[in-house]
Amino acid sequence: MIESQYVDLGGSLAYVEAAGEGPAVLCIHTAGQSGVQWRHTLTGLAALGYRVIVPDLPGHGRSEPAVGGPVRDLGRYAEWCIDLIDELGLDRPYVMGCSIGGKISLDIATRISDRLSGVVAMAAEVNAPKPGGAAALDRGMEDASSPSRTDRTYYGTLAVCGRTVPAERVEMIAAMHRREDPIITTSDLIGWFSHDIRAGLANITCPTYLVVGDDDFWLDLDQVAWTGSQIQGARTLVLEGIGHYPMEEVDDFASVADGWLRTLAEDAARAR
Amino acid sequence: MAATPGPAEANDMYFEDFRVGQSFQSPPHEVTEGALLQFAEVSGDKAPIHVDADYAAGTQFGQRLVHGPYGLARFFGALHDLHIVDSTVIGLLDTNWRYLKPVFVGDTLIFDITITRCRRTSARDRGVINRHVLLKRDDGTVVQEGTTAFMVQARTSADPSSDPSALDFCGPGWTKDLAARLGQDEEFVAATRSFDGTIGLQAGTVPTSLRIYKGAILEAAPKALLGPTFTVQASELVWAQLMTGPRNDFIPRTLRGEFSLTGSGYDYLRLTKALMRIWETAREMAGAPV
Repeated sequence: MIESQYVDLGGSLAYVEAAGEGPAVLCIHTAGQSGVQWRHTLTGLAALGYRVIVPDLPGHGRSEPAVGGPVRDLGRYAEWCIDLIDELGLDRPYVMGCSIGGKISLDIATRISDRLSGVVAMAAEVNAPKPGGAAALDRGMEDASSPSRTDRTYYGTLAVCGRTVPAERVEMIAAMHRREDPIITTSDLIGWFSHDIRAGLANITCPTYLVVGDDDFWLDLDQVAWTGSQIQGARTLVLEGIGHYPMEEVDDFASVADGWLRTLAEDAARAR
Repeated sequence: MAATPGPAEANDMYFEDFRVGQSFQSPPHEVTEGALLQFAEVSGDKAPIHVDADYAAGTQFGQRLVHGPYGLARFFGALHDLHIVDSTVIGLLDTNWRYLKPVFVGDTLIFDITITRCRRTSARDRGVINRHVLLKRDDGTVVQEGTTAFMVQARTSADPSSDPSALDFCGPGWTKDLAARLGQDEEFVAATRSFDGTIGLQAGTVPTSLRIYKGAILEAAPKALLGPTFTVQASELVWAQLMTGPRNDFIPRTLRGEFSLTGSGYDYLRLTKALMRIWETAREMAGAPV
């Protein structure tokens, strides 16, 4: 059964779903999207013996907007997630995220590694900020300068799903992704381009998995590898024929994720 | 004086044997010091960076540079080694070449050749073949790149308009077929119903345009009177890859900067769906998976 609740975080209500019993896993969605991206993971991992927690980030899905307006700093999302971990009393959770969710997961680990069981950062790398990209996105905050926004989200999503994913599933992913608020998505992407936690990577001491699809043209595989090289003991995994959204693209993703979490647990046991 | 007959001649390709998207790879060629010095002799370019090892050791490269045009010259050698047009070639028409990275003695070079356009001339018994050429080191690094066209004999004499046009991107037959299909395409018509303007497309140097009013294509022609509202342009190679590849990868290609845009960026974005229908339709024409 899926439990849902609204949690007051920083003066706005956050929508959070949870299912299952066992080690806690906090799942963080991608830019402009919502926890619905984890709907199959939520029930799948719960059935495999985890307590799965899926929030909608502020301004996304069923969560109220952040106080002060759309968030352009992924660090604020990281703080928000840590507040949620505290509020729900999660004990040494795993944190798993994709795209901005992956970057946020790594950011959380730079701050509270000692309180985490591990991190799975998918479709994420840590890089120098790209202010040029952020400036173009800033213009795109105006509807008037950003025509056919939903079409571009739709076709962009179709294109960035991996070559091995069946066409009907790709269509479903793209159709769901176009349900976004462009202001929120654009703010998230500004966060993606401007976030810089290079200096913090050395603080990550919990077991870490970096996962990237080789059809993900948004990511530079070399940069993912570099990110992995900066994190003590991190594992890097390239998924063949998968794109930017492994949790939506990969067949029976929950079982695959369960394998990664077990590996991280073994890494932690070895470290002790 | 006649060309030496031999087994190679059986492999010779005529105009009709070429097809856009066809590719050839040369055998590897190792650049020797002897070749560098001979090339200096033949070309007369005996600049110290090429011929003086002591001098070159003190430059940013730390060693002698092979002459850039050696790579271009070797392309014609590699082509000869393939023995595909020994008896059918008529002549070289043009060469557009870029020198991207230095070449050194000891490098192993490979040429990747892709056919990007095939057009019969008005003389009917011959055609022009455009080629895109990548010169790579054996580690995959592209060191030189260019396009070059040549003229080749045709097997038969025929009216150019009777040749297949599905891969003659932006050419007259291709444009006519595209416009006819788009006119019947409900999605394209719906996506352009709020548009009054001209979509320009350009493959290499060949332009075409679709003059559109409220979903109807009024004219499909190389030029529109007021010019295109916007034009989407890419090299013939990129067109060939987009139209014959396993999937429509227009979006990642735009992110890699393979397409350029002139004119109204706003209308270009606004017509995202219409453009996607154009690519899908053109891929259908080319026989690619859709």
